[in-house]
Amino acid sequence: MATTADHFQAHPEDHSHHDHDHKPAFFARWFMSTNHKDIGTMYLIFAIFAGIVGGLFSGMMRVELAEPGIQYLDTFATWFGAVNPDFNSTLHTWNVLITAHGLIMVFFMVMPAIIGGFGNWFVPLMIGAPDMAFPRMNNVSFWLTFFGFISLLFSAFVPGGTGNGAGTGWTVYAPLSTSGSPGPAVDFGIFALHLAGAGSITGAINFITTILNMRAPGMTLHKMPLFVWSVLVTAFLLLLSLPVLAAAITMLLTDRNFGTTFFDASGGGDPVLYQHLFWFFGHPEVYIMILPGFGIISQIVSTFSKKPVFGYLGMAYAMVAIGVVGFIVWAHHMYATGLSVNTKMYFTAATMVIAVPTGVKIFSWIATMWGGSIEFKSPMVWAIGFIFLFTVGGVTGVVLANGGVDDVLHDTYYVVAHFHYVLSLGAVTALFAGFYYWFPKMSGRMHSEFLSHVHFWVFFVGVNMIFFPMHFLGLQGMPRRYPDYADAYTQWNHVATIGYMVMAASLVVWFINIIYAFTAGKRAADNYWGEGATTLEWTLSSPPPFHQFETLPVIGETAHH
Amino acid sequence: MTSGKTSFGLGRAVSSLALSLAAALTTALPAFAQEAPAAPSALATGAANGAAQASGAGSYTPMAPTPGIGMPVDGGIGLQEQFSKVGEYGHAIHHGLLWVIGLITLFVLLLLVIVAVRFNRRSNPIASKTSHNTLLEVVWTLLPVLILVGIAVPSIDLIAKQYKPAPKDALTIKVTGNQWFWTYGYPDNGDFEVISNMLNVPDAPVINNGVREVGSQPWDGPSQLEVDNRMVVPVGEPIRLQITAADVIHSFAIPSLWFKLDAVPGRINEKVLVIEKPGVYYGQCSELCGVKHAYMPIAIEALPRDKYNAWVLTHAGGEIDGQDKPAPATAAPVPTADASEAPVVDATAEAE
Amino acid sequence: MSAGRASSNRKVALMAASAAVAMLGLGFASVPLYRIFCQVTGFGGTTQRVDEARAATVQDSGRTMSVRFDANVERGMPWEFKPLQRTDTVTIGGRDMALFWAKNTSDKTIVGTASFNVEPEQAARYFNKVQCFCFTEQTLKPGEEVRMPVLYYIDPAILNDVNNKDVEQITLSYTFHVTSVSDGDAGGKALDQAGTGG
Repeated sequence: MATTADHFQAHPEDHSHHDHDHKPAFFARWFMSTNHKDIGTMYLIFAIFAGIVGGLFSGMMRVELAEPGIQYLDTFATWFGAVNPDFNSTLHTWNVLITAHGLIMVFFMVMPAIIGGFGNWFVPLMIGAPDMAFPRMNNVSFWLTFFGFISLLFSAFVPGGTGNGAGTGWTVYAPLSTSGSPGPAVDFGIFALHLAGAGSITGAINFITTILNMRAPGMTLHKMPLFVWSVLVTAFLLLLSLPVLAAAITMLLTDRNFGTTFFDASGGGDPVLYQHLFWFFGHPEVYIMILPGFGIISQIVSTFSKKPVFGYLGMAYAMVAIGVVGFIVWAHHMYATGLSVNTKMYFTAATMVIAVPTGVKIFSWIATMWGGSIEFKSPMVWAIGFIFLFTVGGVTGVVLANGGVDDVLHDTYYVVAHFHYVLSLGAVTALFAGFYYWFPKMSGRMHSEFLSHVHFWVFFVGVNMIFFPMHFLGLQGMPRRYPDYADAYTQWNHVATIGYMVMAASLVVWFINIIYAFTAGKRAADNYWGEGATTLEWTLSSPPPFHQFETLPVIGETAHH
Repeated sequence: MTSGKTSFGLGRAVSSLALSLAAALTTALPAFAQEAPAAPSALATGAANGAAQASGAGSYTPMAPTPGIGMPVDGGIGLQEQFSKVGEYGHAIHHGLLWVIGLITLFVLLLLVIVAVRFNRRSNPIASKTSHNTLLEVVWTLLPVLILVGIAVPSIDLIAKQYKPAPKDALTIKVTGNQWFWTYGYPDNGDFEVISNMLNVPDAPVINNGVREVGSQPWDGPSQLEVDNRMVVPVGEPIRLQITAADVIHSFAIPSLWFKLDAVPGRINEKVLVIEKPGVYYGQCSELCGVKHAYMPIAIEALPRDKYNAWVLTHAGGEIDGQDKPAPATAAPVPTADASEAPVVDATAEAE
Repeated sequence: MSAGRASSNRKVALMAASAAVAMLGLGFASVPLYRIFCQVTGFGGTTQRVDEARAATVQDSGRTMSVRFDANVERGMPWEFKPLQRTDTVTIGGRDMALFWAKNTSDKTIVGTASFNVEPEQAARYFNKVQCFCFTEQTLKPGEEVRMPVLYYIDPAILNDVNNKDVEQITLSYTFHVTSVSDGDAGGKALDQAGTGG
């Protein structure tokens, strides 16, 4: 995006040994990039591409689920290289779709966009740093993620037992993923996770070092914008949870290929241990996806209310609390696995604790708006949408936290509805909010406010049509990961599929908006949102110079958060 | 390309004659008990065997389910009606939770609307600079804590009730998840085993070796949910369900009985089930277990004790509290059926 | 970037990286740690293993408990395996023996290992095995039958545990898994376990 814009210079002649905004040639700039903004741009483009792939997979699933019976899966199976697929490989394609959709959206869409994209772009800008602490490692992180994605895509075309591709679900539970899935597909899927995980860990180390060490003079931890706080907490979650996943899936690989029995009861292993390890990673992972979204929403709500964030310290430490508690609630994903009664009681109580800091965040956002002078510009509309949708997803989480109630809802569409409300409607809404907030800063061009609002409302209607009826399906008992269902579930599935089409139409509006911005959009001023936007990125040009803050800014006592 | 584990179904069936025997018998019996001679063609083998082995030992005609009971309903938006004490309690708790979360959501929505109306740029051109209010922050931290404590108390009580161990003399039934069918063992009734496969759906590929199409018998429930041989249990008494799996993890779930417990290979999980009312209750496998995950439903038929006993006696080796087994002769003609009746079609197809 | 900042960056990064490496180690270490945790606390229904000396010190409590026995084989394993008594009433604290029976129905020699657990889970930490066929591998020649004993007792401390006050029957469950398969004579080359099904 930034390629088109080299018109503004904040500090034209800070250092004689730099040319004006000297940029490397195309290949060196985009393939060997060490510039946090370029890498951020690459992450965003990559995430959009991966999101399209993951979104197409979900479209294939919604089309198949529009009616009971198997209608299109055999066709989809041929797309993954099956010739005259039999019934098993047809059904296997379904499991590949759910697996790939989950993995892509988590590891190759939300995480690259929200941490790799916005994190890379704006953490250094917001703390007044010239770049990330380790620019070359930053580049390595991106390409690890990229090749992880390639490995995952590749896995869909090689045998995975009953058909082409890895059909284990994104959770890769043993023994379905070990003895239950012969063929190289699952190995490539696991390798994809290794690569993406390694990319995220190096990224996390980079963010932690940058935030702890590279802040401009006067930018104390308690003055950092909340987005930076959110990335800091996220980076720690990544650092501490991903290695556990790496260990778990490495043991899966050796169980699959080298005859070990870490998770195989036949050799004294326990498949339930894999679930413990996976969710020890998996639960922090959901906060990894949502916390930076919290940060983005905080910036936006403050900007457009023209008020500092209400209860700044409470907001920052609420995120820390969510991160810490997030490590001790994992087994609420395993209520049906045969945990003892006391274990279930503990995890029920511990899980409900998370509602408290989350509530603090919701109320603080509203309190930030309270008394404000709110402008309903596109990012703010998305942010308010986020607050409401995240609340809906959050309260169903309180329902699911109850081990006793989960006995009827576990692994049903209620769970699907819940985590899509917090992720698809939460994290993704936050991503769009952040996109409209910062797109002109990154590209130098203004998007259309009108199209942004159309995008929001069509998207809002679409996603609610997809996911709200899933609560009903789940309460009625429809299990997840089913390509086919009893006739009684038809009505709401049909509504959801129509909702998908509405949602897809909103994305067309979004793409038109991007095209509009690059072709006809007005040039963006340095601070195009006005007085409410007080963080450091607004002191720079739009787009910022290739190298910024070569003279470090000094943050005074009065700086807003 | 021989994928070892997928061929285990064959191995199991071949290795265990007793198991095949039970399978053949239980598949055959419905037709035999129904007394209606017009058996559908798919049942031909089974019906013939059934006729050959008629004996006075037991009797059983599958119960026709009540529409909308023990199964999802068209366009339903709430939980299925519950037929266990735990389920009724859980249902009540969920109902309460729904009020709590509904009110919280509406409260947040209301605040957002107020903020949007009162504090937009036109109504309030000058923003206040308030960014702290300790009292408010304490209140919105403590109030959720109180609400959550209010939720936790009944919630934890529910868990305690669900996991109250079964009494000593509770009937024990052994549930085993397989790719992709369930088997039900009755160790307290002579240790016979029932193999339960989904019934075929018209115009759809045959599931496992499903013997007939759904709807071909008057007692058949909804497609995708009905099975050839249901898990029959006595009503109104505690049943100790012991659940395991033979291959990968499955999950034994019946929404209308508030019951869900994973079937994990290499261990058993146990939970008590008490069904309040005679009827047929449907459920589905609830842990991804491979390609036919969606095609291994669960159907539980709860019968009064005397009818349950009569059902038990229709099985070879079935016995009730030390009563004599039916004469072994009844099982004699069966072996011809074992290859066709045991759920091995997938396995044979893939073994090569 | 100044040299000072570069070196302090390296310090922070190293600390972060060591935290990641530590978590990686913890991930792998979780396998033995989990096993020990289960053995100590009975988590997951893991029974306790005690030696003769310790078993000899246990006092008979005079109260009884019903014990149920359950036997499974993994799919495709050509063994029949069942308990020779479905249930048994035992004195809590008194040593008892249960017998299981297994038969190899194939024409191969098969080595099997049993996994096991106890339900209800909270009773597992009081369920002590003095001797069990699950401690070692079992080898059955083609057609061979064997009776296998389990020597166990229930720790009287269970009577003082509120978590177990409602427990009236404890189930001890075993599942046999194929460890190796060999032709005819024992000790032959182990075949891939997956080959046994077809």
